[in-house]
Amino acid sequence: MNMRKLLSGSFATAVAGTMLFAATGASAQSGKTVVTFAASHFAEVGRGDRLKAWVEKFNAANPDIEVKPVTIPFSSFASTIFTQLGGKGGPDLIRFDLPEFYAAAASNSVLPWDGVINDADYKFTSADKYLKINGKRYGVAFDTANYAMIYNAALLPDGKPPKTFDEFLTAAKAATKDGNYGFAYRATMAERGGAWYDVTNFVYGFGGRWSKPDGTPTFNSPEVVAGIAAYKQVYDAGITPKGTDAATYRRMFWEGKIATVVDNGGVATILTSQGKAHPISAAHSPFPHREQGMILAPITINANTKVKDAAAKFLRWMLEPKNQQELQTLLGAVNVATIVERTPEELKAMPWLKAYDEQTPYSVPALPQGLEVKSPEIQQIVVQQLLKVLQGGVAPQVAMDEAQRLVQTRVLGQ
Amino acid sequence: MARFHPFHAAAVLAVLGVAVFPLYWMFVTSLTPSDQLFADRPQLLPSLAQLPTYIEAWSGTSLRHWLFNSIIVAVGTTALSIVLAILPAYALSRMDFRGKLLFGFALFLTQMLPEAMLVVPLYDIFTKLSLLNTLLGLILANAAFTVPVVTWILKGAIDAVPYEIEEAARIDGCSRIGIVLAVVVPLIAPTLAAAAVIAFFHGWNEYVFAQTFISDDQWRTASVGLASFIGELSTPVHTVMAVGFIYTVPAVVFYLFVQRYVVAGMTSGGVKG
Repeated sequence: MNMRKLLSGSFATAVAGTMLFAATGASAQSGKTVVTFAASHFAEVGRGDRLKAWVEKFNAANPDIEVKPVTIPFSSFASTIFTQLGGKGGPDLIRFDLPEFYAAAASNSVLPWDGVINDADYKFTSADKYLKINGKRYGVAFDTANYAMIYNAALLPDGKPPKTFDEFLTAAKAATKDGNYGFAYRATMAERGGAWYDVTNFVYGFGGRWSKPDGTPTFNSPEVVAGIAAYKQVYDAGITPKGTDAATYRRMFWEGKIATVVDNGGVATILTSQGKAHPISAAHSPFPHREQGMILAPITINANTKVKDAAAKFLRWMLEPKNQQELQTLLGAVNVATIVERTPEELKAMPWLKAYDEQTPYSVPALPQGLEVKSPEIQQIVVQQLLKVLQGGVAPQVAMDEAQRLVQTRVLGQ
Repeated sequence: MARFHPFHAAAVLAVLGVAVFPLYWMFVTSLTPSDQLFADRPQLLPSLAQLPTYIEAWSGTSLRHWLFNSIIVAVGTTALSIVLAILPAYALSRMDFRGKLLFGFALFLTQMLPEAMLVVPLYDIFTKLSLLNTLLGLILANAAFTVPVVTWILKGAIDAVPYEIEEAARIDGCSRIGIVLAVVVPLIAPTLAAAAVIAFFHGWNEYVFAQTFISDDQWRTASVGLASFIGELSTPVHTVMAVGFIYTVPAVVFYLFVQRYVVAGMTSGGVKG
């Protein structure tokens, strides 16, 4: 082709394209107030579509408002949202994970809910107490998920779940053969956030806490060190597909290649909704203590919003009992902001749900209490030390002494 | 004519293998039955019975829409970059003016700032200019990064064009702009193609701006759309691999289309005199 013609064609395309799309502005619905709502759920296969359909019910009932779901991939959700908040924009409603929620509240990026709802009108779940900072409400739980052990009965001796840590190790070792593994968890810096949740379950399960309620760090307490040592014991036992990311090992679990994982109710729901290749079962985690971490994801109002009233109207609609019931049903093995009883149909379709619901009294947010705002830095330090234990041969006590020192000096400036 | 040498052939095959194998592996994985995905012995040949995965990826997702948006952004970025880079490249090559050195250096400076650092102020500016949720905004943001590179590439090519040709055109009554467009640009066409490849791939692959500036599904590009399949709790491996494979096709086709010019552009100016 004549190069000159090629270039001329390219330029013409550019000009035409530019002119065409210069006229295309941001969404401006005629006469409607548009409320944008970002949640990583919207990107999920299955649950995302059901959640969008649920939002559509609000739109149908409120012709003057359109709540528009914003899909942001989970892997870049927090960084994208905080970038947009920093640029004085972002979605009007945001479903945060708990660490980002505290960071957003601390930087005044989300609005306090003054006048949005009257607390006395609702029967909130126990997790609601974590969403008030200095007495002010900055959100309500969109969803909370407990942790329990899900297992492929066919891979376990007698098909029964292990009840103690020793039983668990024995069963997982027995299941590790013929390309199958006994257990899976995260142990890479690439999945720092996930590894934090996984190790938190071990630490809580061995009676530890990352901090005291007043914010005093306890990273080198005997209970925390016992949890880290147990994590290491599992690593050394050769019962996990080392290096495999969570999305992959969850898929492997669904394929019947992994006997047990300690995971949240959202995962169990998705595994069930993908079909019954291998029906899953659930039981409480095989640790000495029942306490486990909890996913708590609040919905918040962006401080940059220009449509606070419309956003508040959606939130009040969301908290109506019927809509809470529908939300809980579509999200699966999670709880919503208010107390909603499971229906017999749900329990029949997901018999393992009982194990998750029984975990509710023992669920504790995975963040260090009193140090929530500092969670990202603390996670970095702890997971780094954890990896030194797993891969560098550093003794758990030594590593956690170092974690304690680093948190005190680097994070708390003591 | 160069003699065939088995070592050379093996080296070429090895390099080719490194370049092509990831694509092949993506293709094979997209067509591997679910129960074989995590088998002890990975499947090395695709199962053609799984081809409906591609039909599902093509018709059951917004892939076509995303690809169309990506093509608009990539082509727009390419054309805008070249249009905006030609004159400064010519000025840097042929003219003497105060601050020329500084201007050239400043172009390099823009390359030292990562996208992640600029995305917040750009977001603020784009909000005020109503450029969020438009492909034009993405084209402008991408062009801001590619114009300096393209300018320097074109400057190098213009340096190699004999000045006597321009003098002849001037004697014939051609204006300065006329000389650039009618004489210089055709002579540096191969380099323009090479620069176009760089700009196109930047526009095609760009993620941070596309993710941050676009929140409306209607304007989503393929790079972000592809990432959206990778979920918090699960990832549909077949779909991701099929969509990823399809995503590479337009870029490969574009490269094949301009390849011969790129090679000429890379080698032009290599020999003087």
